[in-house]
Amino acid sequence: MITLNHYLVVSGILFSLGLAGVIARRNILIIYMCLEMMLSAGNLALVAFSRFRVTDGLPDYTAQSLVFFTITVAAAEVAVGLAIIVALFRTKQSVDVEAVTKLQG
Amino acid sequence: MSVFTIEAFLAILGLVLLMIEAFAPDISRRTLAALSIGGTALALVLFFTVASHETSSLPAFVQPWMKLDSLAIFYKGLSLVITLLVLWLMHECAPYLSKYTVDGRLSELFSLPLIVCAGMMWMAAATDLVTVFVALELVTVSFYVLVAFARKSNLALEAGVKYLILGALSTGILVFGIAWIYGATGSLSFEGISAALAKPETSKVPALLGAAFLLAGLGFKVAAAPFQSWVPDVYQGAPIPVTTFLSVGSKAAGFVVLTRTVEALIGEHSIIGPEVKALLLVLGALTVLLGSLPAIFQQSVKRLLGYSSISHAGYLILALACGDSIRTGMTSGGIVAFYLATYLPMTVLAFLVLAVLRVNGQGEDIRDFRGLGKRSPLLALALTLALASLAGLPLTAGFMGKLFVFFSLVDHAYWGALVCATIGAAAGFYYYFRAIVAIYSTEGSSNEPLKLNIASKVGATVLAVVIVVLGVYPKPLQHTLTKPVEVAAKASAH
Repeated sequence: MITLNHYLVVSGILFSLGLAGVIARRNILIIYMCLEMMLSAGNLALVAFSRFRVTDGLPDYTAQSLVFFTITVAAAEVAVGLAIIVALFRTKQSVDVEAVTKLQG
Repeated sequence: MSVFTIEAFLAILGLVLLMIEAFAPDISRRTLAALSIGGTALALVLFFTVASHETSSLPAFVQPWMKLDSLAIFYKGLSLVITLLVLWLMHECAPYLSKYTVDGRLSELFSLPLIVCAGMMWMAAATDLVTVFVALELVTVSFYVLVAFARKSNLALEAGVKYLILGALSTGILVFGIAWIYGATGSLSFEGISAALAKPETSKVPALLGAAFLLAGLGFKVAAAPFQSWVPDVYQGAPIPVTTFLSVGSKAAGFVVLTRTVEALIGEHSIIGPEVKALLLVLGALTVLLGSLPAIFQQSVKRLLGYSSISHAGYLILALACGDSIRTGMTSGGIVAFYLATYLPMTVLAFLVLAVLRVNGQGEDIRDFRGLGKRSPLLALALTLALASLAGLPLTAGFMGKLFVFFSLVDHAYWGALVCATIGAAAGFYYYFRAIVAIYSTEGSSNEPLKLNIASKVGATVLAVVIVVLGVYPKPLQHTLTKPVEVAAKASAH
């Protein structure tokens, strides 16, 4: 039997993997993929919490409606984000974090 | 007509302007600017006529997710004013900005702020984390484009990438936080969360986890620790009007959401109230120090204003952590709103002077200010007022806001945070006055007078007058903000 805890553990692992990737990786595209993974972790937790909160035999759908919004927002974010990363690649011929270290105090 | 119609009008106008540029590329920049500035001005006028009616309410289909209390109306007005000022600033900067864009086109620069404004106005009224999330992302995603807008400039592009990565990180953290808050309380509305947290059977650890992630995610938007590191870089790299918009608009919208979130989290009998308060105090004190101390060593004025923006966010978070203050008779939400209202003229004025220098081919370093006293006495005086007000000199707008924060810290006897805030304020006097000294030094500067158009002169004068008036006579503003507080208190008591 899969319980709420199983889902939450998977979601926690996804979140930590994403965060570790953001901190440790040097390639901006991979960092961006890790960020999407963190969003998915949040979505998974939302859906799981929503499914296991049963009232009158029906799950509570409030949080699941939020998931539709986060998926849509993530798509918009990727569209804008990739455009900016492509523009960066065109000027610098690189998507390494080393390419964005000019702004310093 | 309701306030919601005005917001929808702004968003649609933004889309229409974008379409006009796409299908009629020959349209002149002046026409686009006129349409967008005119549309926002119209929205502002309509807003004041609608909002003054007691009966103004929201259409039925948005009522479950939005409410129109006085705090919401105040922040909606603030969003409209800052958007109008930013659009005007964009128009002033257009000649130099168009050098950094492909084909010199600037259409998104005049349409995106309208969409951002609609998003900020929705954030001000949101009573539900779903609405907060969608409106917040509308603002954030539009800002990704605005920050990286001058993409022929390497610095702007770099600022855009940094803002994108950290913004997306904060979104991920925010969603994770919302998930755990929902898991602990079973609700996504602020009212429901507050009610569930008051029950002793609600489990504490998931609620605390969710609250910590939620506050961290929102902290990014208002430039608070631990996500403050993007601020100086992005402020330096982004075009000046966008920096202005970020530092006032984005911050104000973030703070109205933060005010409502904190109210829900530390409401009466909240099982996680003391922990959240302690977390906010630590974050606030840390933000003040991380903003004030590095600012001492900055040479670029844009970076300096970035660090100053961080430290101001710190004071506001400290105010939120305190809750109601008996000495001033204001709630934390009222103090934050007052502080942001005084923060608007001084920040816009400082960036306006930077923009004028930029249009005249000058840089953004403190040494570029040298001789400003001779080259344009009006701008020099205005900038002096703005910087003195940012430092919190008595009789300027910035003083009262800081005073309220200090009062409420004393009220609640948070001595540690008070010490940090005092250190921050003292450091502030040093770094703002270093810039003021540069304005009036004549060593190694050109004596050529600055070219100023009428609009900049009028704008600088009006903003400077507002700073002095708010500083000398803050009572009317304080009164308009004491009322929303009572309404909010009554609403939460029921």
